[in-house]
Amino acid sequence: MTDATGQLTVVVADDDEDIRSLIVIAVRKAKLTLLADLPEGISALAAVREHKPDIVLLDVNMPGLTGLEVASAIRADPELAPSMVFILSASVDDTAVAAGFAAGADAYMTKPFSPNTLAAQLTALIASTASGPTTDLPAPPAP
Amino acid sequence: MNPFSALFRRFVFIDNPSPVVKQLPTSLAFLGALIIVLALPDLAITDPTAAISGIVGMVLATLLAVTFSISAPLTRLALLIPFIDLFAIGLLRMGTGGSLSLFGSLVILPVVWIANQPERRYIALAGIGTALALSLPFTLGAMVPQSSADWLRFTITPIVFSVAAAIINEMSRQAAGRVKAIHELAEERDVMLRGAVDYAERLSENEDRLRAADRLTRSVLDAVTEQSVIGADVTGLIDVWNPGAEKMLGLSATQVLGRRYVHEFHVDQELLARSAELNYPPGETVLNPGFSALVETARLGTAEVRQWTYVRADSTTLTVEVAVTRRVDEQGSTVGYIFVATDVTQALEVSRLKDEFVGLISHELRTPLSSILGYLELMRDDEENPLSDEQVQYLGVAERNAHRLLRLVGDLLFTAQVGSSTFSLDTTVLEIGPIVRASVESAKLTAAAAGVDINVTIPDKAISVLGDAQRLGQACDNLISNAIKFTPRGGKVSVNVGIVDSRVVITITDTGMGIPEDELDQLFARFFRASTATRAAVPGVGLGLSITKAIIVAHHGELDVESEVGVGTAFIVRLPLNAPVAV
Repeated sequence: MTDATGQLTVVVADDDEDIRSLIVIAVRKAKLTLLADLPEGISALAAVREHKPDIVLLDVNMPGLTGLEVASAIRADPELAPSMVFILSASVDDTAVAAGFAAGADAYMTKPFSPNTLAAQLTALIASTASGPTTDLPAPPAP
Repeated sequence: MNPFSALFRRFVFIDNPSPVVKQLPTSLAFLGALIIVLALPDLAITDPTAAISGIVGMVLATLLAVTFSISAPLTRLALLIPFIDLFAIGLLRMGTGGSLSLFGSLVILPVVWIANQPERRYIALAGIGTALALSLPFTLGAMVPQSSADWLRFTITPIVFSVAAAIINEMSRQAAGRVKAIHELAEERDVMLRGAVDYAERLSENEDRLRAADRLTRSVLDAVTEQSVIGADVTGLIDVWNPGAEKMLGLSATQVLGRRYVHEFHVDQELLARSAELNYPPGETVLNPGFSALVETARLGTAEVRQWTYVRADSTTLTVEVAVTRRVDEQGSTVGYIFVATDVTQALEVSRLKDEFVGLISHELRTPLSSILGYLELMRDDEENPLSDEQVQYLGVAERNAHRLLRLVGDLLFTAQVGSSTFSLDTTVLEIGPIVRASVESAKLTAAAAGVDINVTIPDKAISVLGDAQRLGQACDNLISNAIKFTPRGGKVSVNVGIVDSRVVITITDTGMGIPEDELDQLFARFFRASTATRAAVPGVGLGLSITKAIIVAHHGELDVESEVGVGTAFIVRLPLNAPVAV
């Protein structure tokens, strides 16, 4: 949910501290409020359940729960339905992208990424909330 | 042959006895006559000279008979002997009473010899000889015919002996004919016997050869312990099962031969899938459809190597590469099939692990690169703390090399995807011209920096292909950047697009260092680098061309190369045309 100033809120999860910092910078560039940045999946899911953020930015390969498992858990929880899931992954093959969308991602971006581009994508995601998923990769295959 | 047999064969031939054998009855009869004359006083010698002359003649004839028998070249003169005999007997007859002598009838013996000759003229000679022998008392003047009986003896007796000679001659001729026929039959029998012996020897040799071939085949089959060799008839019933098959599938030959079918060791789903590939309609009335699916390609005359899953006796499975070939008889008709299988489980696992490793490494390298490139970008774009020109230049170098590393990681990842068959295309109908032009445009800066002139020729009309724009662009980028990289300063790179034989042809030609002819075959192998490239220290890892080839092949196209060291290289890409275009 939005914060007191009306800005959209974000929870970030990535096991690489440097990448996590880079994502946080991109979040700020997109003028979003960071609620938590966490290094693994279990605490990330707990933070999402606690804060019910507007956007959840998830890495795929993380200890505890993977980004895909966290995304699935979010999609399985009706209370978290409004939260948008943005997956960042170093996997570029079609299977990985399809798995991300199958887990419930609204957007998918591959590493390495430009902080400016990520900020722009986050802004675009917010703008297109009602108009469907966003990705820097080709559209996912039909299920 | 013992000496007695040799002597017997020399003198006593049943059908053609030697002169001494023929002479023997006459000599013995003559000797008997002499003994009778000497023993009986009332049979006195009337003319001793004639009698002695007769004895001398008989001795001479006997000696000649012995001589002619010993000396083969003289045997043809043996016919003189019976004529000498005739005169010897004639003289004995003359010496023992003339026409009253008891021994005139002895002439029958030499007459038989003479008449025994094959030609009919000997009948006449026998008659004449007899007449002369019997007329000796008259012709030598010892006697004068006294009565008509003497004349009759002188004329009738030779005629009687001539008739006897004629009968003997005829019988002899008939006997000779029979002997000849027997000889011919014997010769035929000998020929047949020799033929039979030869045939038996050949059969024996062939049998030995077959046994040796069988032993060789058996020893080869037995020696193959790491591959299964299975033979089956046209219905799939197993008739060959080597130790490799026993080891691989856990059943002995006695448990399998003539009892089990080849397709029973396959996974049903795979056989059904192959049947579907071959468009076998459901309910097709073919004998053993599973077996038909296994051998269809081989049945049509082409040996096939395909990956299958074998099911062992204990129901565990293993992945095998099976080569199926047809067995034919002397007329070329199919009599069965041979299945040679190699266990590729381990090889596949190694390949999978290798690709997984490359994929993992590539994936893990992208994460630190994310940090490097992200923070470099933040530094460059920091408006609050702007960088000096020199710092921007340093940053550019760092960024360029980080991107280079990223491309290499991308290439490794793509190579792993190709190797593990997880590489897919996002195909649409697209125009090839703009893709090629974009690659050339993006390469122009690099070409200018390298002092290489680059030009492009693309027809105005749209040329469509069915493909993945990103991958085809990647292929063009690789080929054009390669051409620039391997062309010395002042050289030229030409890119041409056209249509040849209803196919899109993209040709990238350079005036670079070229590739040795003996290396062209390996050029598209992963991590291969031409010797000219390594000598000239041109940077690279040898993945670009293998990736490019994989992309082109995935588009059902071809990638060829023509090159001459010191002159240049041309890469020719051929892609299926999506729609007819008038150029």
